[in-house]
Amino acid sequence: MSSRGWIFLFASWGLVSLLVVFCFYRLFMKR
Amino acid sequence: VREREQWGSRIGLILAMSGNAIGLGNFLRFPVQASQNGGGAFMIPYFISFILLGIPLMWVEWGIGRYGGTIGHGTAPGIFDAIWKNRLAKYIGVLGIFLPLVILIYYVYICSWTLSYSFAALLHLYPSGDTTAALGSASKVLAPYKDYLGAYTGAGGNGLFLAPPLATIIFFIITLAVSLWILAKGISGGIEKLSTFAVPLLFIMAAILFIRIITLPPSSTTGATVAQGFAFLWEPDLSGLLNAKVWLAAAGQVFFTLSLGLGAILTFASYVKKDEDIALDGLATASLNEFAEVVFGSTIAIVTAVIFFGTEGAREVAGGGAFGLGFISMPAIFTHMPYGSFFGFLWFLLLFFAGLTSIVALSQPVIAFLEDEFGWVRKKSVFALGIFFILTTPMAIFLKGSLDEMDFWVATFALVILALFEMIIFFWILGAERAWAEITRGAQIKVPRIFFYLMKYITPGFLVIILVAWSWQQLPGVLTKSGTGIWFTRGFLAALLVLHFIVVHLAWKRRRR
Repeated sequence: MSSRGWIFLFASWGLVSLLVVFCFYRLFMKR
Repeated sequence: VREREQWGSRIGLILAMSGNAIGLGNFLRFPVQASQNGGGAFMIPYFISFILLGIPLMWVEWGIGRYGGTIGHGTAPGIFDAIWKNRLAKYIGVLGIFLPLVILIYYVYICSWTLSYSFAALLHLYPSGDTTAALGSASKVLAPYKDYLGAYTGAGGNGLFLAPPLATIIFFIITLAVSLWILAKGISGGIEKLSTFAVPLLFIMAAILFIRIITLPPSSTTGATVAQGFAFLWEPDLSGLLNAKVWLAAAGQVFFTLSLGLGAILTFASYVKKDEDIALDGLATASLNEFAEVVFGSTIAIVTAVIFFGTEGAREVAGGGAFGLGFISMPAIFTHMPYGSFFGFLWFLLLFFAGLTSIVALSQPVIAFLEDEFGWVRKKSVFALGIFFILTTPMAIFLKGSLDEMDFWVATFALVILALFEMIIFFWILGAERAWAEITRGAQIKVPRIFFYLMKYITPGFLVIILVAWSWQQLPGVLTKSGTGIWFTRGFLAALLVLHFIVVHLAWKRRRR
């Protein structure tokens, strides 16, 4: 896969992972 | 106003909402859509649609649902009627019960296939094919698996009707019985308990499959590697960004994956506590759904398809659509994979739990309607739903063409109409400031004010564009389809809709008395 493909893959996975981390951090850690 | 049920815990609520959203589409529809619409470049319109359409609609459905719960209504007819003092409002709201109910007519049946397929994997009941044939043509290796699905659904039946074997019916009855049993236990005691068990289990199973697949060695027959599998889906074709079809496909995928415009999220939200932080809960729900879709959904089915069939073969497989990928290609792949019976079992069990948590969510609107508007107790409402299934599902099981026809009218078309009415009634009739206050009440996170304008102007506009474009694109093709089974299904849907209008009319008459 080209480097552009890997960038799209990791950017997308990174975005959704960050969203999960943000939400659950706010849910459990920061009340 | 009668005391309404409530969710037992915040995490239980989020898991139930996620279970509602995560369905077969996350694992089957998404990879097919992405690979056919620009690969990695598909993710640009996808994320833009997620922000402009997905998150705003998700918050609106939570907000409108919680608002309804506080005034004793858990479904769209009651809530729309309370907000919009117009005789038509409650009849428009009928869509919030009608759509999930029609989807259930075939969804419970399809979900029962996944249960049957998981057992078939464990018991080595799939046909055994020739692995080396994968090199030549995917269709050749898939033929026995296509026949297997055909035999399971009774596609060989004559004339108008399908003739599935007894085992198919038994698995349907088991799936239906389990669903009704969970529903009878209530919001907290049934749906929430199922979700707190099934959703984490679903993530664990998906993670096991994900790890197995990304560590697969290159195929000895096709020579394809995991990297080639990723390339198949992620290699961006940036010219796709100039194609309206790609943008429409991305918006549609966001719509389906988050289960928007069905009335199910709205009903679940009506059992939320008055000062619950729905802004964060709604976002957390969407985030879990997106993780399941973008990470697991993009990897499990399509990467294995590339490794097994090669890039060209995978193109053929993806061209066969989400159903073909799930129920024809995956069994073929698992038959030839080391410990494939175990991984096949996991894959279909994962789909079963994804489906089951969606079934209970789609069932809740009609149960809530009977409880809220007719004062029925839960068990009586669930019993009535069971009778409805027994009377209607045979159509999806036995009548050729019926399933696809129902799927088009309710799961593609009408949900955009309901979503549009939700936006208009909440943000334009109740009032934008009141709607905004409803969504942000009790919020720990600061919801950016830009979403106020998105919800008021951009999201409804986006929905109108989708509705017009889909009508333009798909209606001519669908309307030219004809046949006894198809016309019977259309007549049935029209009659069922009229029956819904009558029931709502009776509920309001009863209320006036």
